[in-house]
Amino acid sequence: MKRPDRWVAAAFVVSILSAVGLFVVYLQGGQTQLEGVFLFLTLGGIGAGLLLWAKRLMPQIVDETQSRHHGPVSDADKETSADTVMGGVDELKRRTFLSRLLIGAVGALGLAALFPIRSLGEAPGDTPFFTKWKKGSKLVDIEGNIVTRDTLTVDSFTTVFPEGSVGSADSQAVLVKVPPDMLQLPADRAAGAPDGLVCYSKVCTHAGCPLGLYLAQDHELRCPCHQSTFDVLNGAEPVYGPAPRPLPQLLIEIDDDGTLRAQGDFTEPVGPSFWNMTDHPEEGAPS
Amino acid sequence: MTRRSAEARLLSRVLRIGLLLAVGAQILWSFVPERGEAAAVNAAEGQTLFEASCSTCHGLNAEGTANGPSLQGAGPAATDFMLTTGRMPLAAPGDQPDRQAPQFSDAEIDAIVAYVAEIAPGGPAIPHVDTARGDLPTGAALFLNNCSGCHSAAGIGDSVGGGQIAPDLTPVTPTQLGEAIRIGPGLMPVFDTDNLSDQDVDSIGAYLEWIRDNGNDGGAPLGRVGAVAEGLVAFVFGLGFLILVLRLTGSKT
Amino acid sequence: MIVRRAVEGLDDRLDGSSFIARNLKKVFPDHWSFMLGELAMYSFVLLILTGTFLAFFYVASPDQMIYRGPYLPLQGRSVSLAYNSVLQLSFEVRAGLVMRQTHHWSALIFMAAIVAHMIRVFFTGAFRKPREMSWLMGVGLVTAGIGAGFTGYSLPDDLLSGVGLRIAYSIAQSIPFVGQWLANMFFGGEFPGDALLPRLLTLHIFVIPLVILAMMSTHLAVVWHQTHTQFKGPGRAEDTVTGTPVWPKFALKSVGLAFVTFATLTLMGGIFQINPVWFYGPYVSYTGPSPSQPDWYAGWLEGLLRLWPNWEFTIFGVTVGELFLPAIVVPGIMFTLLATWPFLEARFSKDHEWHNFAQKPREAPVRSALGAAAIGLMVVLFLAGSNDVLAKYLQIEVDTFNAVLKVLVFVLPVVVGFLTFMVCRDLRDRPRSPVERPGTMTVRRTEDGGFEEIHEPGTHDEVDAP
Repeated sequence: MKRPDRWVAAAFVVSILSAVGLFVVYLQGGQTQLEGVFLFLTLGGIGAGLLLWAKRLMPQIVDETQSRHHGPVSDADKETSADTVMGGVDELKRRTFLSRLLIGAVGALGLAALFPIRSLGEAPGDTPFFTKWKKGSKLVDIEGNIVTRDTLTVDSFTTVFPEGSVGSADSQAVLVKVPPDMLQLPADRAAGAPDGLVCYSKVCTHAGCPLGLYLAQDHELRCPCHQSTFDVLNGAEPVYGPAPRPLPQLLIEIDDDGTLRAQGDFTEPVGPSFWNMTDHPEEGAPS
Repeated sequence: MTRRSAEARLLSRVLRIGLLLAVGAQILWSFVPERGEAAAVNAAEGQTLFEASCSTCHGLNAEGTANGPSLQGAGPAATDFMLTTGRMPLAAPGDQPDRQAPQFSDAEIDAIVAYVAEIAPGGPAIPHVDTARGDLPTGAALFLNNCSGCHSAAGIGDSVGGGQIAPDLTPVTPTQLGEAIRIGPGLMPVFDTDNLSDQDVDSIGAYLEWIRDNGNDGGAPLGRVGAVAEGLVAFVFGLGFLILVLRLTGSKT
Repeated sequence: MIVRRAVEGLDDRLDGSSFIARNLKKVFPDHWSFMLGELAMYSFVLLILTGTFLAFFYVASPDQMIYRGPYLPLQGRSVSLAYNSVLQLSFEVRAGLVMRQTHHWSALIFMAAIVAHMIRVFFTGAFRKPREMSWLMGVGLVTAGIGAGFTGYSLPDDLLSGVGLRIAYSIAQSIPFVGQWLANMFFGGEFPGDALLPRLLTLHIFVIPLVILAMMSTHLAVVWHQTHTQFKGPGRAEDTVTGTPVWPKFALKSVGLAFVTFATLTLMGGIFQINPVWFYGPYVSYTGPSPSQPDWYAGWLEGLLRLWPNWEFTIFGVTVGELFLPAIVVPGIMFTLLATWPFLEARFSKDHEWHNFAQKPREAPVRSALGAAAIGLMVVLFLAGSNDVLAKYLQIEVDTFNAVLKVLVFVLPVVVGFLTFMVCRDLRDRPRSPVERPGTMTVRRTEDGGFEEIHEPGTHDEVDAP
C-alpha cells in the first residue's frame, strides 16, 4: 500500500469534520450562513480530494491517442442506409390512396389535439376594453377609505379603485392633485379633472407595470420597469421612454358631500396595446 | 475637638457642597433647550447665520433670488430637513442637493429654523415622529405602496429621472423621515395628514428602523439591489472561481 | 470485491463487456475550456436535488390567507398560500433558506456556464460538421434554461416577479391576431388570472426539466459518440483524439469537479442573500417597486425594452403593439441566427468538410469578429437593462445614460467586431513567435592549462502558422 498523500488525506478529513459540523448546526436549529460554509467544506473537501488524487497520484496515466473510429461517411454507405429507410417508405407509398388517408387521419388528430388548449382559458372577448369603473363609482384608496376633494394636497398622489373593487388589476388608477391653472387638458376632459384633481389609469401603456413613481415638481408619472414617463398636466402624454400611448383618463366629478366619483369608465382601453383595440365595442361592459 | 466631631464636620461639609453642586447642575441643565423650543432665544443668532450662509441665494427676506427659491410658506420642517441632512447650504447654486454631513450644529440649525420661521411664516411644522408608536406591518405595507416606486422595496433608493436619485433611506432619522413626507423635497411628492396620517408616518419610521437591523437572514445583502447585483456576483464570484478551478485542473493545450 | 462481482453480474446479464471496456478506455481531451459544459451539467444536478427538496414544501396556490409566521413586517397581511410557503421555507424550515438560495444561485450559474460554454464552442468552431446537432441542442438548452428560470422565480408570487409576469402577459398580448388569445390561454383569463401558479409549477418542475434532461442526454450522447474536438498540437491528427482515458483519471477529475461545483454553489447559497422575497411583499397588481429587473439571463431583453423607441403603428385596422418588435421579432431573429449559424457559416465559407480540430479564434477572423460584435451588443443590452441601478451608483442622470447607450448599441458592436477582425487577422497571418535559443559560450580548460572558448550560436527558428 502506498503512503497516503497528505493533501488528499487532509481534504477528506476536512470533509468529514465539516459533515459533523453541519450535523451539529442542524441539530441546534440551523443557521443559514453556517450551513453554507459547512456544506462548502464537506462537498469541497471531497472534490478537492478527488482532484488532487487525480493530479498527484496518477502521474503514470498520461495522454493517449486513439482513433476516433468515426469519420465522414462514404457516399456509398449513406446511400445504403437511405435505401433501407426509403424501402420501407416506398412500401407505404405504393398504397397511394391509403397513405393519403393516413396523412389525413394524422392531420385531423393533430388538429383535434389542439382543442384541449382552448380549455386553458377564457376567450378574451370584450374584457380588454372594460374595467370595473362605472358612472357614479366612488373613488376609494388602497385601504378602502372614501377619497374626497380634501384627501390630497397639491403635489400629492394616491392610488384609487372603484368602491368594492380594491385591488382590481385593470381598474387601478392614480389620482394626482396639481395646481388647477397648470392643467392643459382639452375642454371635455378638463371638466373631468375638477379642482386640479386629475385621475389616470395606473397601468402603463408600454408593458402593463403599475406606475410607481410620481415626480411631483415636474408633474410626471413614471414607470419603474422601463422608465416610460407621462406628463400629468397634458393628458398623460408620453414624454420619454418606450410607452406609445398616453394613459387613459378617468373623468371624475365631486358630488355634493365632497366625495369623488367617476363619470364612467376610462376614456380608452387601459394598459398595453392589443391588435383590435381600435374596434371599441358599444358602451356597456359585460357583467 | 472630639474625634467624632472632626469626622462629622468633614461629612457635613461634603454633603453641603454636594447638595450645592446638585442643585446648581439641575438649574444649569434646565437651560439646555429642547429642539425647537429655543426659538425666541436664538433668533438673533439665526439671523446672523442666515444672512451669512443662506441669503445669497434665498434673499435677505427669504423672498428668493435668481439663484434660489423663495422660502415663504416652506415651513420649519423644510428648513430643518435641508439643514440637518446637509443638503443646504449648497456650495454653489445649481449643485445637486445631496445628503452630506450637516454644516451647522444642532443649536445653530435651531437658530436658523427659528429665524426663518419669523421672516417666512407658515408651512409644515417639524413633525414629532415616534417610531415606538408605529405598527410594523402597517408601515411595511404603506412603504411598499407609497414609497417603493422611487426608494426601492428595501429603501436603498434608485435613479428616478429628472436628474435626481431618490436617496437611500438608511441614514434617515425619524424626524427627517416625517419632514420629507410632509414637504416633498426635490421631485418627491407631498403626503399631508389626510393622505398619510401621523400614525402612518410613525409606522413607516418603525419599518425603516426594523429593516435597518433585520432582514439579512440569507447572508450578505449585496446592497439589497436585487438581480443586477446578484447577476454580477454569479459571474464574477461564482463562475469566476469555477473557471479558476478549471484552469488549475485542466490542461492548456 | 463487491464491485468486481457487481460488474461481472451486470455483464453476465447484459453482455456488455465490450461496450464497457471500450467506453471506459475512451480518451477525452483535457483542455480546461472543454469543462465549461460540465459546470452547467453539475449546476443542473444541484438544481434537481435542491429543487426536489423545495418542491416538498412549496404550495402552488394563489388562494389568500393571513400570514402568521415569524417575519414581523408581514404579520396579519393577506398573502397567497404560495408566498406563505416560500416564507416558511425561508424562515421556518430548517435548512430551507440555504436550499432555496442554493437553488437560485445554481440557476444563475447554470445559465452563466451555458453561455460561457456556448462562447467557447462558437469561437473554436466546434459546431462545424459533424457537430451541428449538438449546437442545435445547445441553443435549445439555453432557451429552455431561460424558461426554467423565469417560471421558477415567478413561483414565490412576490411583488417583483409578479411585475415580470405582467410584462410577459403584455408581450403575448402584443402579437397581432393571436396575442390576446395566447395571453388568456396561458394565464387562464385576463391578468392576473387564478390558473397561473399551478401552471408555472407544472412547467418548472415537470415539462421544462424533462425537456432539458432529454436534450442534455442527447447532447452528451452525441458528443460521446462523435468524440470531442481538440486543438491542434504535436502528434495530433484529424482522425485521432488525444487525451485522458475515462477510467479512472478523467472520471475522477470529473466527479471531483462536480463536488467543487456543488461546494461553490452551496457556499453562495449560505453566505450571499439572493431574491429576498420578504422585502418585496406578496404580489399585488397596483404597486411597482424600483429598481425592477429580471434575473440576469433575461437582462438583455429588459435592455431591449428600455431602449426601444415608442413606435406603434396600425395596419389595416390591426394595431401592432409597441412590444411586438423588441420582445418577439428581434429575439426571434436573434435565436434563429444563433440556431442556424453552423449552416449559415458552412454556406458562406463553402466549407462542408468534416472538422475534428478546434480552431483558435484567430484562425477564423470573420466568425470571431461577428461573435465579438454579438457579445458587444449583448453587453450594451445588459447595461441598458440595469440602467437605473448603474446610474445610481455612477451618480449620473439615467436618461442621459440611456441616450449614450442608444448610440453605443450600434457603435460598440461595429468597433469591437472591427478590432477583433484586425487582431485575429494579424495574429493569424504573422508567423508564430520564432523559437529562440540564446547563444552559449563554454569555457574549457585545455590540457596545457590554458582556457579555450567554445561558442554555440543561438537558434531562431520560424515556425509556420497553424
